[in-house]
Amino acid sequence: MNDVQARLSRCFLAAIPGLNRDEIANASVQTVEKWDSVASVTLIALIEEEFGIQIDLEALDRLDSYRTILDYLNALPPRREDSAG
Amino acid sequence: MKLVEALEALEQNLQAQSPLLKVQLACGFTPLHLSTFLNAHLRIQFPEHHVEIAAGLFGDLAGNLERAQSADADAVAAVIEWQDLDPRLGVRALGGWAPRHLADINRNVRDQALRLGDLLEKISRSRTIAVALPTLPLPPVAFTPGWQAGAFESGIQEAAAELGARLAGSPGIRMASAQRLDRISPPPARFDVRSDLAAGFPYSLAHADALAGLLARIIRNPSPKKGLITDLDDTLWLGIVGDVGVENIAWDLDHHAQRHGLYQQMLASLAESGVLIAVASKNDQALVEEAFQRRGLVLPRERVFPVEVHWNAKSESVARILQAWNVGADSVVFVDDSALDLAEVKAAHPSIECLLFPRDDDKAAYQLLEDLRDLFGKQALSDEDAIRLDSIRAAHVAAESAPSGGSTPERFLQEAAGKLTLNFEKNSADSRALELINKTNQFNLNGKRHTEASWKRYLSDPDAFLAVASYEDRFGPLGKIAVIAGRRDGRRITVDQWVMSCRAFSRRIEHGCLLRLFEKFGADEAAFDFSPTPRNGPLQTFFAGLLGSTPERPFSLRREQANEKSPRVYLEIRESSDE
Repeated sequence: MNDVQARLSRCFLAAIPGLNRDEIANASVQTVEKWDSVASVTLIALIEEEFGIQIDLEALDRLDSYRTILDYLNALPPRREDSAG
Repeated sequence: MKLVEALEALEQNLQAQSPLLKVQLACGFTPLHLSTFLNAHLRIQFPEHHVEIAAGLFGDLAGNLERAQSADADAVAAVIEWQDLDPRLGVRALGGWAPRHLADINRNVRDQALRLGDLLEKISRSRTIAVALPTLPLPPVAFTPGWQAGAFESGIQEAAAELGARLAGSPGIRMASAQRLDRISPPPARFDVRSDLAAGFPYSLAHADALAGLLARIIRNPSPKKGLITDLDDTLWLGIVGDVGVENIAWDLDHHAQRHGLYQQMLASLAESGVLIAVASKNDQALVEEAFQRRGLVLPRERVFPVEVHWNAKSESVARILQAWNVGADSVVFVDDSALDLAEVKAAHPSIECLLFPRDDDKAAYQLLEDLRDLFGKQALSDEDAIRLDSIRAAHVAAESAPSGGSTPERFLQEAAGKLTLNFEKNSADSRALELINKTNQFNLNGKRHTEASWKRYLSDPDAFLAVASYEDRFGPLGKIAVIAGRRDGRRITVDQWVMSCRAFSRRIEHGCLLRLFEKFGADEAAFDFSPTPRNGPLQTFFAGLLGSTPERPFSLRREQANEKSPRVYLEIRESSDE
């Protein structure tokens, strides 16, 4: 598990009560019952706080699984402070 | 605190028997992360409690407050934003920002502020309530440019300020400080318009965290420190009096010593607010007394007791001062410009709060003043605050007047002309009663403590009774010195709490209280929820005198037993009411 995966997993565990660590990789709105609208808002806030980003409103609808969110984060251009030094 | 840390803190489970603290969060927006942060901060403030947060309906702050009156909550956190005073002051309504709307918005804000004020005051009669007035910037409603204050904004802000002044004057309401919030949450970074439009949550995470922390602290309402021990040279004044002479010590602008004058001013203010002030100084006693006679000293000499001046270790002085005050080191702050002396005192009294007086740094000295206000701050001043120092001096004089050795002679008690006054009104707003229960150790039935919420709940039981005892004698008044709380059941009473300040020992006040309690309720028997603690030896000794042996667990005492075993009580005992 790389750094992005570890930080994203922490966000998932905090946002969705009762989610097991081994369920994270396959988690999606369809498969996790407790991933409701409140969990979604909390998850987005956590990700924005953790990664120091603002997620595009247009992208929100398709960020409905761990995999799509991870892909979204990996596709972001590196931040200046991440790439410095 | 980050949101992830707050959520993780909520996952940590306490033991099942931990008491529950229920808090109603009343706001007009989606509570979301504010609720999460408030829960996490309350867990920090109340580490022994399970915390439950309940919230109300979106867009209905007044309705949420109405419902909070009947909710099963220990405390209420009410967060008012501009949109709660008029929806047009938020970004989720499109009711109009035209100039013709402004007068109506202003009127509506004032009406709604009055309504919310009434509701908050009603709630405060039965619950602890913490209130935050609008923390977000006003939207650009009026026609004036943003850099200019117009009549509309000023009028709206005036309405909020009037509401604040009204609520801050209500005894059961505690307000979040706008000035403190400005420091910990810079205004430009508070509003998250994107989150407000998308989810109905108008705060940035950092602002939600800061506001929640403030509200949790207000609900906790930590006990203020009781006493301050100060050094003199280069602390209370600039200069070493033994070196520069009495006439050359200074505390004013002309001598670049204003920080010492401000420190004196703060100490004088604290003293008048009931804080005990003492001196611990390595110095020449005669010179110090002469220095205290200097004109213009902002801290009057009569406000300081005791004054420990000699060349021995300061920890010895601190020990004697604590004994004279009869308070624990954990209730006291020691201020000195010498890091070495602070360390020496801290080593001998680990629980004392030691603060360095920054003699060469105005900014740090100003920060010290703010820190002192935080450590000693209280919501309101009581009658006890006004007489505390005189009462301690009186106890000192009485102790010196009492013959030494053996039991207290009858003649001394008789001549003391003690008057014991018992107030049986169940006034849960009397903060002194709760303070005594939560601070007293030696004469304490069982060491059990109460939160404000649990205390109000306890007294709301129709069978519960409360007796608050005040005392004075020819040496002066001691103020409210004892609290007895229990329940009545026919001709039997159960005493759940009994505490008495150690300043009131050796006057047979405890015997007087007990005998009057039997008489007041026509009781034949009293059950005591006694439990031994490491520090309640004086209470155990009292009961051993009545029972014939030291109790080890809860016990009962019959009225005739109390009458027979009590020594003669010379007190004039009467009842009073709050009226």
